[in-house]
Parts: sequence; structure tokens; C-alpha cells
Amino acid sequence: MTAAFGFFFLPLLEIKPNRLASGITVNLFEIEGDLRYIALFLLALIALAISFQEKRLQRGWTLVALGNLLIFLTLLLPANAATDLLDGAASLFEEGTRFSNPRIFTSSAIAFGLLGGYIVLFGGLRDLVAEKVNSGVRLFASAIGVIFVLIALFNGSFDIYSILVEFSQRGETLGQRFIEHFVFVLVSLAAGLIIGIALGLWAARDERMEDIILYAVGIIQTIPSLALFGVLLVPLARLGDQSFVNVFQFFIVTLIIGLVVLFFVSRIQGTLPESLRPWAIIIAFVMLFIPVALFTILAITFGFKTVLNVFLDPALSQTLTLVFAGYVLAVLVFWLDRRLDEKRSIRRLRYVRYGLTALATVGFIGLLFSGASQIIGSRQLADISVRNLGVSGIGTAPAIIALTLYSLLPLVRNTYAGLKNVDPAIIDSGRGMGMTPAQIFFEIELPLAVPIIMAGIRNAGISLVGIAAVASIIGAGALGDFILLGVNTTSVDLILLGAIPAIVLAVMLDAILQMLERLFTSPGIRREA
Amino acid sequence: MIEFKNVVKQYPNGFRAVDNLNLLVHEGEICVLIGPSGCGKTTSMRMINRLIDISSGEILINGQPNTELPAEELRRQIGYAIQQIGLLPHMTISDNIAIVPRLLKWDEDRIRTRVDELLDLVGLDPDISRDKFPRQLSGGQQQRVGVARALGADPPIMLMDEPFGAVDPITREVLQAEFLQIQERVGKTIIFVTHDIDEAIKMGDRIAIMRDGHLVQYDTPDTILAHPNNRFVRDFVGTDRTLKRLGLIRIKNLMDASPPTCTLDSTVEEAKQCFVDYGAKSVFIVDKDDGTLKGWVDKEELKTNTSLLDAMYEAHWVDIAVRQDATAREALSAMVARGFRVTPVVDRHGKLVGTITLKALQDLVSYDPTSTATTEAVSNVG
Repeated sequence: MTAAFGFFFLPLLEIKPNRLASGITVNLFEIEGDLRYIALFLLALIALAISFQEKRLQRGWTLVALGNLLIFLTLLLPANAATDLLDGAASLFEEGTRFSNPRIFTSSAIAFGLLGGYIVLFGGLRDLVAEKVNSGVRLFASAIGVIFVLIALFNGSFDIYSILVEFSQRGETLGQRFIEHFVFVLVSLAAGLIIGIALGLWAARDERMEDIILYAVGIIQTIPSLALFGVLLVPLARLGDQSFVNVFQFFIVTLIIGLVVLFFVSRIQGTLPESLRPWAIIIAFVMLFIPVALFTILAITFGFKTVLNVFLDPALSQTLTLVFAGYVLAVLVFWLDRRLDEKRSIRRLRYVRYGLTALATVGFIGLLFSGASQIIGSRQLADISVRNLGVSGIGTAPAIIALTLYSLLPLVRNTYAGLKNVDPAIIDSGRGMGMTPAQIFFEIELPLAVPIIMAGIRNAGISLVGIAAVASIIGAGALGDFILLGVNTTSVDLILLGAIPAIVLAVMLDAILQMLERLFTSPGIRREA
Repeated sequence: MIEFKNVVKQYPNGFRAVDNLNLLVHEGEICVLIGPSGCGKTTSMRMINRLIDISSGEILINGQPNTELPAEELRRQIGYAIQQIGLLPHMTISDNIAIVPRLLKWDEDRIRTRVDELLDLVGLDPDISRDKFPRQLSGGQQQRVGVARALGADPPIMLMDEPFGAVDPITREVLQAEFLQIQERVGKTIIFVTHDIDEAIKMGDRIAIMRDGHLVQYDTPDTILAHPNNRFVRDFVGTDRTLKRLGLIRIKNLMDASPPTCTLDSTVEEAKQCFVDYGAKSVFIVDKDDGTLKGWVDKEELKTNTSLLDAMYEAHWVDIAVRQDATAREALSAMVARGFRVTPVVDRHGKLVGTITLKALQDLVSYDPTSTATTEAVSNVG
């Protein structure tokens, strides 16, 4: 009811003489045209749905159709009306109003229209669920409206709306920002995965480190991202000024010192008094922390630059598509293999899968190398400064490092929980049968922890999409650029232009990861079925 | 053959879980390690395949110290089944059973045959259970798979830590009986850890009773029940150990195989002669053709009756006899219930094959070391 009321009486469209000035709003009844007849038609559909009160299946389908129609029409019809509105715009405003790029904005009634559409749609879907309609059919039925909207979108039907005007002006930048955003998430997730699984494994294996590691990643998560950027600013700027050779020498020296201290400490551990032992270990770790952190910072930043380069360079991105296709194919073969294997067929497909994966991986490594070499260019080793590798106080370096740090909590915690969750009796039986520690890890612990680790990856991935948007504040690019610009110019459309792709990215990422999770989880330990 | 030589397990805090253990497990025997919790029985077992390191002393397997091979290789040659079963939930039943053969790099065809063979052996239909996942099986079925997995690569030695501990008592009895049948066929050398004395008596060729890391007594079940070394063993095996012992012995090994018998058509004179010959108070009457027990006659009755048929107590053999494959414990129970001092023993078809007296049962369990009946009867168990 509220939705219907909102749709009929709140402003439907807003017209502004230019991007900044306030505009004039129009509601449904003030628009000339066929809208009233269509509204009548919709009312008839509602009546039809009500008339099926007793037959749940028919009512369900009618409501689904009605919902889809509402969603589609809510967006389409005002667009038609808007063209007229824009033509007669001059007459609506006072004399002397300055016109430059008059815009049509979607207004609050549209949101209510969509809300109403979805309420009706979900009402219908509930009926269909109760009638045990196949879930695939239901998914398709609920997507019809969106599909039509997308068709209309590509057909140009919505070009009149301001957000699409913005899009047509900034489409290319948007694509680039989208890729940046994606690469941010991808690289930080990959780096976080390596560090997170290592730390999670460490926490699960070493009781002394358990609390320290879990507290540490928990504390990182509580630092506001802006503060983290600030903290990283000065050291990274200083680091960026150094020449690469110097930093590398420093790295080697600190690494050797750290290792020597660790070796020494572990040797004299037994002779030290009880109270000093933990401190000795802590000192050794602090010594090692310096080179390890340095290496991590350089690796992640340079890795990010490289991957971004691979994505954005036209020649490289073409190869990347091929590599990606190779991986997708390998996954498909893996799935097929699983399917056939369940029916006790031969496992020959395995070799095809290995071949494809190997090929794609070789391609991918090659891509990374060419991407990396492009960044370094023709510089001599002595001339390379750390800044050339992408490390600087603001921009991508602090952003990617912060993102990696933020990804750690779910990854470490879930890896830890997944490994701790494995029944000790299962590990004992594996040991008793003569499996080596490596076999126990890869064939027992890891497969059993996969569902929980994958849940952590999904969790981290989605939150990273959100946090990556904040990284624009320090000039790191990505979709946050649009959002920031939109906030600064109070332009809702620009904010949406940044936000919608980010949402799409998050949903897509989650869907893909969920698919992979299902694929890599044995049916023997799947939650359902 | 497994031999413990002065084996000690001492933890860094000084606690001695196993203290100077000497034990010889014979080839093809089930040796049950038993004792209260914390007595070191599981620790001793786990030292055999080096899941726990020995502090001092050594364990010889067929004369070779078990430290000669790398631990993983050693374990692959020793079957291992535990109470929690520990099936890998993400692998199918056949993959679970195939773990050790795969570790030993058998070829896939041989593994497939072996898996089906083992599933058959433990009483599971290969076609139904092969591709199932552990969680789709009942607890009893999982225990069977656990045993099949331990037998996977046909190891000569098996370590079993309460392998039937996780199921209900009825299923446990079934699994125990089935396992004994399997053992008869495969003849493994088995170390069997349990805390259930009844299971130990049932399963063990020999029982090693442990306490605080020491071996208290190592003997056959019957000797342990008949001659407990000390008060601890006596308490541990329980106050009803006499009855438990009787449960070990089959009547056919104990009965008098020449019962005082007359046929249905014997005359009173013949019957009287029978009483004289056997010096018995009762004579059993059987069918002339198939020897089926038909009843009995008491000496006093013959004095007053002229016909044997009038003098005899007629009864169906089910009501008065015990089966020859019953345990002495069951026979005693029947005799106490019916108030007989002598009971006829029959085979499956009711044919009279012998008699058993209450006195024989008492002699069996009395603690007279000169009684020879015990050892004879027990040595015939099997």
C-alpha cells in the first residue's frame, strides 16, 4: 500500500536545468500520455490475481508476472514521458534560467515503484515455493523483469536518465575504474589468502601463537581504514624514495640478522630462565618481522601494479582472456570429471584437466612477467627506485596494503577454525595408517577445512569490494572515485554510477566463489542433502 | 609375533605411562590389553606402530626392532582400527578402504578387487556401499568399514583400540562374533585394547591385564578367571568370574559321552540291568531308530511298575535336555532352573549324546589346582 501510494503521489521525475541547480518535480498524474490506461491495466491484473485467491499456483504466476511488469514499466514509462518533458523544459522554468545540459533525474516515486514491484514479485514467488515449483524456474521467473530492463538499457530506452547521460560521458573511465576495483580486490584477496592461510595454519598448529595471531588480526580489523592509510603514509613515502638496490641490500641484511637471532634463540632456549623465554622468542620474531614486512609490502604493491597492467594493456588483456578461458574450461572438465566419476566411469579426463590447468598457468605466469617487465621498462637496475615499483605514500600502495590487512581477519579466523574443526580421531587414523604429515594436511585437513576457508574467502572478498571504494580518498582510483565526486557535487547519479558496479562486482564475486566452494567440497561433507 | 622388551614410556613431567613392560604376543593370536583407564594399555598399543615413541626398551616385530623402518612405512604394514573409527568423511567407502593400498602404490584394478573382497568379508554389499559416504552408513556399518579399512593391505598385524566401542551392546555382540569368524579365516596377530572384561574374555586368546603401566597378569582367559594372580585381578574380572569361566566352556567338552540309556521297547528287566551297569539313579529313554530323547525313568519307579512305558517320565527333549554346543554357563542355568543334578545332552536334532552332572560343573570351577577337568575341557574349546 505504501509503495503504491508512493508511486502514485510522490515525485516521479525531477528535471534540472543543469547539473547543480535544483529542479522541478513531476508526479504520475501530471504526465501526459498513456500512463493512466496502463495503470488501469495493472489494476485489472491485480484484480485477476485476487480472483485466483483459491488457486495458489495461478495466483502465484499472476503475481510474478505483475511484479515483473511493474519493475519493467516503472523504469520504462517515465523514460518515454521524460522525452516530452525535456522538450518542453524551457516553458517550465522562469525566464532567464541558465540551461546547460538539462537533466532528467529519477525521483523517489521510481524507488517506490520498484519496491512495489518486488513486493508483488516475492509474494508470487512465495506461492510458487509453496507449490514446489522447480527452483531454476523460479529463479528465471524472478529475473524476467530485470532481463527486460537490461534489454531496454542496451536498446537505449533509458538514455534520457541522467545516470546514463553520466555513463555515456564517463563510460570508458568507468570501465577502467571497474577493472581497477576488481584488481584491487583480486590481488589483496590473493595476497591475503597466502598470508592468511599461513597464519591460520600457524595459529592452529602452535598453541603459543594461537592467541597472539588471532588477537592481532582482530585488532587490525578494528582500525578505521582512514587511520590505517594515515599510518602507512609516512613510512611508505620514505620507502618510495629509496633506490631498489639499497632496499634489497637492507632486506638481505635484516633477513640474515633475523634468521641468525631466531636460530640462536631457539638454541639457547633451554638454558634460559623460564621468565625470559617468551621474550627471547618475541625479540627473534620482531627481528624477522622487519624483512618479512618489507618483502610483503614490495611484493604486494608490485604485484598489484603488474596485474593491473596485465588487465589494462590491450595486448596483454587479450591473452588474459585466453588464460581465463583456459581456467574456466579446466574447472568445467573438473566438474564433468566429478559427475562421471560418481557413476564409476574412468578418470581419463583428469589428464585433460591437468593439461589445461598447466597451459593456462604457464600463460598466466608469462603474462605476469611481461606485465612486470613493462613496468620496469628499460631502466637499469641501479636506477630503479622503489617508487618505480609502485610504492608511494599515497595512491595504490597504501590502499592495496590496507586491503590485504583487512582481508586477514576472515581468512585467518576461518582457516584456523576450519583446521581446528577437523576431528582429531580422523587425523589419528590417518597417522595410524601411515600417511605422512604432508598427506594428512593435503588429503585430510585441507579438504575438510575447505568449506569453512571458502566461506572466509567469500566474506573477505565482499567486504574488500566495499573497503576498496574508500581507497579513492588517498588517490588510489577504483570505483570510489565516482562516489567521492558524487558526494562532493551532491550528484546522486554519480554516486550510483560508482555504487551499482561495485554491488554488481560483489554479487558476481560471491556467486563465483560460491560455485567454486561447491565444486571443491566433497559431497560427503556438504551441508545439505 | 610381537615382543615388548623392557618397554618404558616416560613423559617429560616424569609420569611413567608404561613401566618396564615385557610381553610376547604369539603369531595369529588375539592379545587383549585391558585395565582401568590410565593403565597404559592404549599407550602400549600405540608404541607398536610408533604413534607414540618409546622412551627406553624395544619392541620386536618378528624379531626386528620396530625402529628399523621409517615410521610411516611401518604403519602401512600394521592395520589400525580405533573406537572413533575415523573414516574420512569426504571420501567414499571404497576410497576409505583403499587408503593404505594407495599409499603402498597398488595398481587401481587390484585395489578395486580388494575393496569389494573386504566389503564382502565384513558383510556389506559392495554394490550398495562402495560409493556411499561414511555419513550415509549406520554406526555398526561404519565400524565394519573401519575393520575392513584396517585389513586393507592385508597386514599381518592389526592394532585395534576398542574397535566396537562406539555401537550399542546388541550390535557389538554381532560385530564381535563376526570378527571372530573373520579372524578364523585371516589369522592375524592382533593387539586388541578394551576396558570391557566380557569383551576381553570373548575375544582374547590371551589377556594382558595392566595397572599403572605394569603388566599384572598375562594368561589365557580361563587361567585369568580361574587363577587370578592377586586381589587387583580378582576385583577387575569381577565377583562373577566363576560364571564367566563357565561361559568359556562348551558342554560337549565336559559331558559324559556314555549316558545310561534304554530304548522305548526295552523290557523292565533290561532297564534294571542298565541301572546296575551304570550305577545311576536315572536312566534315559531314547527312540530305538534315531536315538531321540523321549524321557527318563527313576530306579524307584521300576519297583512298582511292570512296564517300562508306565514307569517312565515322558517329556520332549527341548524341555529336559541341554544342547551340546551350549556353554557350561547356560547348562548350569538350566539345571538350577529345573532342579536337576544330572541333565541329558543332545545334539541339534534331539539325539541323546551324553549327560552332564552338576558336580562336573562344580568341579570345573572349584579352585582345586589338582582338578584336571578344567584344562582338558578348556583346551578343547574352539
